[in-house]
Formats: sequence, structure tokens, C-alpha cells
Amino acid sequence: MKKVTTRSLAVLLLAAMVVAGLGIYIFRLARDGGDWATFYANDSVYSKGQLNRGVILDRDGEVLATASEDGFHYADDASVRRGCLHVVGDLGGNIGTSVLSEFRPEIVDYSFITGTTTEDPQIQLTIDAEVSAAAYDALNGKKGTVAVYNYKTGEIVCLVSTPAWDPQQGVTFDLDDPAYEGAFINRALSSTFTPGSVFKLVTMAAAIENIPDIWQQTFTCSGEAIIGGQKVKCTGHHGTITVEQALAHSCNVAFGEIARQLGGELITRYAEAYGLTTTHEINGHITAAAGSVPAGSGDGDAAWEGIGQYKDLVNPYAFMRFMGAIANGGICVEPTLLAGRSAGSTRLMPAATAQRLSEMMSYNVQLEYGAGSYPGLEMHAKTGTAEVGDGTTHAWFAGFITNANAPYAFVVMAERAGGGYYVASPIANKVLQKAVAVLD
Amino acid sequence: MEIVTLFFGEHAPLLARVSRYILPLIATLIVTRCVVSMLRERYEPETWAYLYLPGNIMVPLRHWECILGRARSVDGQVNDPSVERLHACLIRDASGDWTVYNLGRGETYVNGELVPMGGAPIADADVLTMGNASARFVDLTEEERASLLKYRHAPGRRVRPSVTLLLLTVFQLILVLQQLTYNPGAGTGVAMAFAIMATVQWGYFIVLRSSGQTGFEPELLALFLSSVGMSVAASKTPDDMLKYIILFLVGVSLYVFLCLWIRDLGRVKSVRLYAFIAAVGMLAVTRLVATPRNGAYSWIELGSQLTIQPSEFVKVLYIYAGAATLDRLFVDRNLIFYIGFSAACVGLLALMGDFGTALVFFVTFLVISFMRSGNFATAFLAVGSAVLAVMVVLSLKPETLSRFEMWGHVWEDIYDKGFQQVRAMSAAASGGLFGQGAGNGWLVDIYAAETDMVFAVVSEEMGLITALSCVVSILAMAGFAVRNASAGRSSYFVIAASGTVSMMLVQVILNVFGTMDILPFTGVTFPFVSVGGSSLIACWMLLAFIKGCDTRARGSFAVKRPERFSGGQGVEDPGQDYDDADADGYYDDDSDGYYDTGYYPQGGRR
Repeated sequence: MKKVTTRSLAVLLLAAMVVAGLGIYIFRLARDGGDWATFYANDSVYSKGQLNRGVILDRDGEVLATASEDGFHYADDASVRRGCLHVVGDLGGNIGTSVLSEFRPEIVDYSFITGTTTEDPQIQLTIDAEVSAAAYDALNGKKGTVAVYNYKTGEIVCLVSTPAWDPQQGVTFDLDDPAYEGAFINRALSSTFTPGSVFKLVTMAAAIENIPDIWQQTFTCSGEAIIGGQKVKCTGHHGTITVEQALAHSCNVAFGEIARQLGGELITRYAEAYGLTTTHEINGHITAAAGSVPAGSGDGDAAWEGIGQYKDLVNPYAFMRFMGAIANGGICVEPTLLAGRSAGSTRLMPAATAQRLSEMMSYNVQLEYGAGSYPGLEMHAKTGTAEVGDGTTHAWFAGFITNANAPYAFVVMAERAGGGYYVASPIANKVLQKAVAVLD
Repeated sequence: MEIVTLFFGEHAPLLARVSRYILPLIATLIVTRCVVSMLRERYEPETWAYLYLPGNIMVPLRHWECILGRARSVDGQVNDPSVERLHACLIRDASGDWTVYNLGRGETYVNGELVPMGGAPIADADVLTMGNASARFVDLTEEERASLLKYRHAPGRRVRPSVTLLLLTVFQLILVLQQLTYNPGAGTGVAMAFAIMATVQWGYFIVLRSSGQTGFEPELLALFLSSVGMSVAASKTPDDMLKYIILFLVGVSLYVFLCLWIRDLGRVKSVRLYAFIAAVGMLAVTRLVATPRNGAYSWIELGSQLTIQPSEFVKVLYIYAGAATLDRLFVDRNLIFYIGFSAACVGLLALMGDFGTALVFFVTFLVISFMRSGNFATAFLAVGSAVLAVMVVLSLKPETLSRFEMWGHVWEDIYDKGFQQVRAMSAAASGGLFGQGAGNGWLVDIYAAETDMVFAVVSEEMGLITALSCVVSILAMAGFAVRNASAGRSSYFVIAASGTVSMMLVQVILNVFGTMDILPFTGVTFPFVSVGGSSLIACWMLLAFIKGCDTRARGSFAVKRPERFSGGQGVEDPGQDYDDADADGYYDDDSDGYYDTGYYPQGGRR
């Protein structure tokens, strides 16, 4: 008998398997439960495959979209609908980086404890409806993006991408229509572009930290120069200038020379350190694409790399982080889209480097762009006119303002739309004027 | 909504909402009370006879089947070099007569006479000689057993079953409230079904309690699981509750019958051969006349309303026939016969295309044969033959193989092969810890959800806590069976109980983890909870085997009280056992006086 009774312990082996399996299940449920619960077949939160509950609010509590049994309703204002489209998302699930695609558990207020039993769930975003609408209107039909965030709190107030469409109408256009090229992607998050002269800020940062006599050097620009056997053309004849003047005038000859002194490898390493060549996650879900800044091998390629041409490709969102770090003493407060969620912060550069860059970007405005172009804004910025290779140029304007109540960093990029100063800078002004006004 | 206000008043909707958070709490309380009761009550062995060895060494015989010898693993150890490691075996039959068998190479004598191959009877005061050691055999009289019993403790004193039953009734009441509130199809039928279930459980409790029984943990757990199952049935087919409650009544009746039947081991043994034949016969007939469903020949349709799944009943027969008393375990050909029987069952299930049930039988077979077999060679043979059987099953059904291919990848095929499981996982997650409310789920409308994915249905409607409580209930039954094993009377009951809980555990493993894509999806029922008449009835019948191993004083009416055996008189009227002789002996709070090994029933025995 004793042997038989002892062997009954074999039953406990099966019991242990039950316990182990439950452990695996609960672990997976805790990890993936939100994705499971927001599967379209879950009739407790979906009707006919569409969300039947949840309200998406902007930072002021303005309704951006409402899901109910009756269907899905976007904001009343057409510009708000279009301006917030790429953040909110569309019902067809065409925009992969949208809140509707990536934050469904948050929209229905899923949690491990309550499942999807919340009856009137809400999700509040950091996006501002008015600023987004202003950005959409300011782009005025151009393809491009406007990204603005608070570099002290990380709140993204605007992440507009064009072309957009009215999500209340659904996709009524032809996908092959060139006017809607890339309409399904958020250009701020999912694209990379040749940066042109805005990249000179990276080269400048490397020079500050690696060329001890950079402030004593002068550069002579006669419109073009031969560096490493390659001809570097400039936008004008700048004569003999300091490095501050070189940045303000965006002198290619001077930055070609600085890049030659630094070498392509070092510039690439700085681009990496500033997060321009890696992906970034927003609130752990939405992923921004990685840019690429390959090191130019010879002096000529290095010169073009340092000017922001060569094979440089930059993601606007990543560049906005870089701007935020300069504005915030070298520390990048990680951007967030969900209200009340802090995403931590990352130091990108020493405070001294950030301070120098900040001063130079302010000097750019004073010397070259004109403070009067941005009334009421304490503007620090850099223009960029990136040559694409087919004669057209991307217009860039990136920087930040230091108004006491409006600590915003921004990137404006208009695709193949002309020059940075003439095209992108006015857009930035309009959007930031709105942002400052809305905040008060 | 009208009916719910009729039953629960104006504030029914609010009550229902609040009750969603109370339901898991009560489920946890019910299961915890049962588990605590099972763990905390003393498991005091019974004593049936003594052996007095030279030097006044007393060896109590705690089972009906005791091995004597020099080895440490025996029940009665005799430390003498002339004694074999496993020397002899003492077996008490149901009527109280003892027989001694010689094992191995040594010789055994009773009163100087050599014990032959077929064993020899041994009675009180006889002298048993093994090698050079002689021992006096002392059988206990009815009075001595009765006086011993006073020092054993009855369960139910610390954790009162009446309170647990009350909690269960509240649990059922909440289920009715939620069903009537959330399930648009639920009406009076659902309320009536739960009322009948509650009436049955209280009737059962009152009858047994007034006849002196105090151990109710396994039944309470089974009733808890059945309540959950009935709520799932109400969610699925609220108009079909009459059928469900009838099946429940049949299950409970057969459970009571089987409990009474296994009180007499002699009676049990006498029809084992028929159980063998019936098991194989039922499977064979099923294969021949079954109506195929999804390629499986498991269901027999009797008219338009009644469909039975005979393989569920074969589970009961398989345990009944597969368990064995110790005397049979020493004969190799019995084991070979058992392996052949198991191979026939698994083979027929393979022919039926019922891979899930075949797997359940396979693992149960492993446990039973492990407990039955004495040496590694037979175990090896057992494993070998069973693995072969599984290979047969696998080779037979391409559908089964394709399910294995989907294992771990169900989210990659949400429209076809992963269809059921992704929905199950989605629904289960959406229930959270507290659930959407009984009757408020959608998963139950997915094909076979109320049986094969019932864990997910329960998670969705009643929440993860209640779903886990269901699993813990089965774990508790398993722990109970293992714990009772040490005080088992006959290895038959120990093996039957262990086989039963193994079967249930395997079903839980396959059901829960198959649904959640942790194991391949095999379509096996969750004991008591899955909706299905055959399964429900079979589970209740299997519960009798768990009750059958409960030798706690007044623990189980499936076990005869030791003082009720009149030695050598044969079987008495079972009804007589219900008489409550002296209740005060059991509720004695003086816990110091409980039986220990040093207790001598009467002086002068030395």
C-alpha cells in the first residue's frame, strides 16, 4: 500500500503543470491583454468591426473623435479633422502611427483589472486642435509636416502631415493621384528627408566640442570652393566671416571646411548621439523612423555630409527632439502624445554645447531672418533648403522659442516646396503665433 | 427586464452592476473555504488490526492491504535478516476476513502451517511466521474499532460546510440576477433551473448531515463548478434549461448511486469484468453508429433532442475497471491485460478521431499504470505502448496535425485556423478580473465555445478570478485525493481517486491551455463547467471515486464507517449506516486526545 500511496504523488506533477500553465497565461494576459481585448472581433467594444465606445480629446478637452454604436464622429471643424487626422487616425486603419491604430487599449480604457468594462472611456491627447488646424491651413496645400512640442513637459501639441483628407468622408481619392502621394503616412514620423542646412547644427555642435580654435577661425567664401577634389557651391559670396556668421548665412564653403576638419566619421557619430539615426518610440507604441547619416569617406563627401546633403536623411520627429534638447540645456524631455504620461528624458549634449548652439540660433534670427518676421516670439532657428537632386528643394525651418509660457521646439518641412526662409519660416511663424495665443 | 424586477425589485440594474464585483469574491470564498477545510482537517489513519512482533513491538495495520517485509517501503516493517524485503501480504476483504499471501522467495507460516500459493486465512490470535520472525496477529472487534473511532476527528468543525453552502446559494442567486439583467434571452426558466439546483444541494446536505456526515468539500466544489457551468448554459441556450437541469439531476443521482455502490469493495470487484467489456463495447458501438461531426465519430444522436457522447461514460468505466486491489497488482498478467484494455480504448478513440479524449485516456493510463506497476520494465512497456497509441492518433487525423501547426501562431491566422482561439483570448481579456456580467458575453456564440473554450467564456462573463477559482477547485480535488491516499483502505480506492483527478487535471490542462494557445487546441471539456450532458453526468459519477478515498471519520458516505463492519458477517444494509450513533464524540473540542500510534485499545494485549 505504501508504494501505491507514494506513487499517487504523480498526480501532483499534473497539478504543477496546471499551475505553471496558469502562470504563463497570466503573464501573457498582463503583457498582451490590451491587444487581445482590442481585437476587432471583440463585440464588447466593437460593432461590425468598428469601435463602439471611446472619446478622443485634445489637450483642452475638445472632442477630436467619438466612437459610439451609431458610428464614428470626428470634430466639427474641417481643418481640425484634417490637421489631426494623422494623429487620431482613420477608421480604415490606414495610418499605422495613429492613436486609433496604436492606442486602442487606452481608447477603450482596457486594463488587466477591469478588462474592457469601462462604459464611457475617454483618452486625452496632448495635441491641440486649434494649433493643428492652423498648421494644416498654413501648409496651404503643400506636402509636408509641422511638428511642435513643449520641450519642458514633452507634450506634443502638433504633429500635422499633409496631404490629408477628411476622415469623416473616408478615403474618396485615388491612391495613385499624385496630389495624395503618401497621404497614409505621417511625414513627421514615418519619413526621412534630406535635411540640407538644418543639419549644419549637428556639424556645428561637433565643431564646438572638437575644434578648440573654432571661435578664432575665419572662413573666406568666394561663392564656391574645391574641397577634397569636389566643388562645393555656396548660396552667395560671403567674404571673410566668423563661424557665427557662417551659420547665420548658412555658408556652404565655411561648413564644408569645418566638416573637412572634423571628418565624416565624427559627424556621423554626432548624428547618432543626437538620435537622428535611430528609431524613437512615442509612449512605447508609435515608432518614428530612423534617419541615416553615412560617413563621407573623403574630404569632399565629408564636406557635403556636414552641409546636410551627401546621403544624409533625417526624420522630422527626431530632429524635433534634437531641437528640444538644445532648447532645454542639452536634455531632451521625451515627447508624449497621451496627456498625463511622462516619458522620461535623455541628455543629448552637455549644457555648454546647448547654450552655444542656442545663442547662435538666436543670432541667426537677429542677423539674417529678422526678428520682425516673428513678432512676439523669442525665436531661435535655422533654415534649410535641401537639394533633392532633381532641381527641387525641401524647405526646412527648425528651432524653438523661449517665450516664458510657450517653451516650444518645432520642425517645419515642406516637401519640394522651395527655400527654407521663404516657405517654411512663415509657416512656423503662423503655427507658433497660434500656439502662443492658445496657451494664454 | 420585467422578470428581473419581479425577482429582485426596482433596483435590480444597480444590484447587478454591484454584484459583478461581489461574484468573484464569493467564488474565492467558497473555494478557499473548501481548500482550507481539506488542508486543515486531520488525516488520521484508520487501524484495522495489529501485529505483535517479538520484544513487544507493535505494528498497526492501517490499510486493508498491507505488505510485510524488511524493506522500508512496506506497510509493516519486520527488522530481521531472515525476512525478505517484500515477504508477505495481508489482505482484508470487504466482509472483514483476512488472508495472508506469500510474496517472493521466502516462506510464510500461519500457526506453523505453510501458506500456499493461493494464500491462507488468518484470524485473531493466529501466529504469523516469516523467516525466523514470528508475530501475533490481532484483529480488532467491532467495539474496539468503535472506541478507536472516538479519537478520530470528523471534518466540518473548523470550516462549517453549511456556511459554504449558504455562500454557494448566494453565488447562484447573483448568477440569476446577472443572467436576468444582462441576457436578453434569459427568463423564468433560468431562475427555475438555479432554484432546482439549490433545492437539490440543500436536500442532499440536510439528508447527509442529519445522518451524521460532516465532510462535503468535494461536492461543494462540484456544485460550485456546476453552477458556473449552468450559467454558461443559460448564456448559450436560455430556453433549454429544463434539459440541462434534468441532466444535472441524472448526474447527481448516478453519483449517489455510485457512492453507495463502492462502499462494498467485494461488490465493486465482482463486476469489474463487465466494466471492461462495457467500456470497449461502448466505444466500438459508437464508432459504428456515430454521426460524424468535424471528422470525429464521437456522438450518437438519439432523436433530434438527445445526443450522447459515450466516450465520457467510458471515462467512468475506465477508472472503475482500471483501479485494482493490491492482490491483483502482484500478478503480471493483470497488468498486461490492463495495458491491452487501455490500448483498445485509445485505439478505438483514435478510430473515432477523438484526439483530445484519447490524450486524456493516455495520461490517465500513465498515472494508473505507474501506480499499479511494481517495476520499471512494466512501466517502460506501458509508456511504449501508449506512445505508440498516440502516434496512431496523430497519423490518423490530418486535422489534428494542422492544429499542432497553428500552435503558438493563432494570431497569424485570425480568419481560419486561429479563428476560435483569438476570439477566446480577446473575450477573456475583455472580462478583466471581474467580468462583463453573467449572460453579458459574446464568446459563447462562437462555435463550441461553451464546451471547448469554456474557460474563456467564464473569464469574459464572470472574470478571471472566478475562472481561476474553477481551476483551483479541480486542483483542490487533486490535492485532496493525494492527501487521502496515505489513509486509503484499499489500493483500489487510492488508484481510482488518483486516476480520476488525473483525468480531470489533464482535461483542465488541455481545455484552458488549448484555448489560450499555450498548448495545441484539442477540444476537451472542462470538468463540470463545460456545457454538455454526457460530460456533466460523467463528471458527477467520477466524483464518487474522489469521495471513495475519503476515509476521514464521517467524511464520506461512499466509505463505510469502520465500526459498522461486522467481522465475517458479510455485507449489511447500507441504509443502516446513516444512523447517527454518538455525535458528541466527533465534536469534541479537546484535540489532545486524538488517536496516536501508542494507543492500545484494551489492556493486557501485550
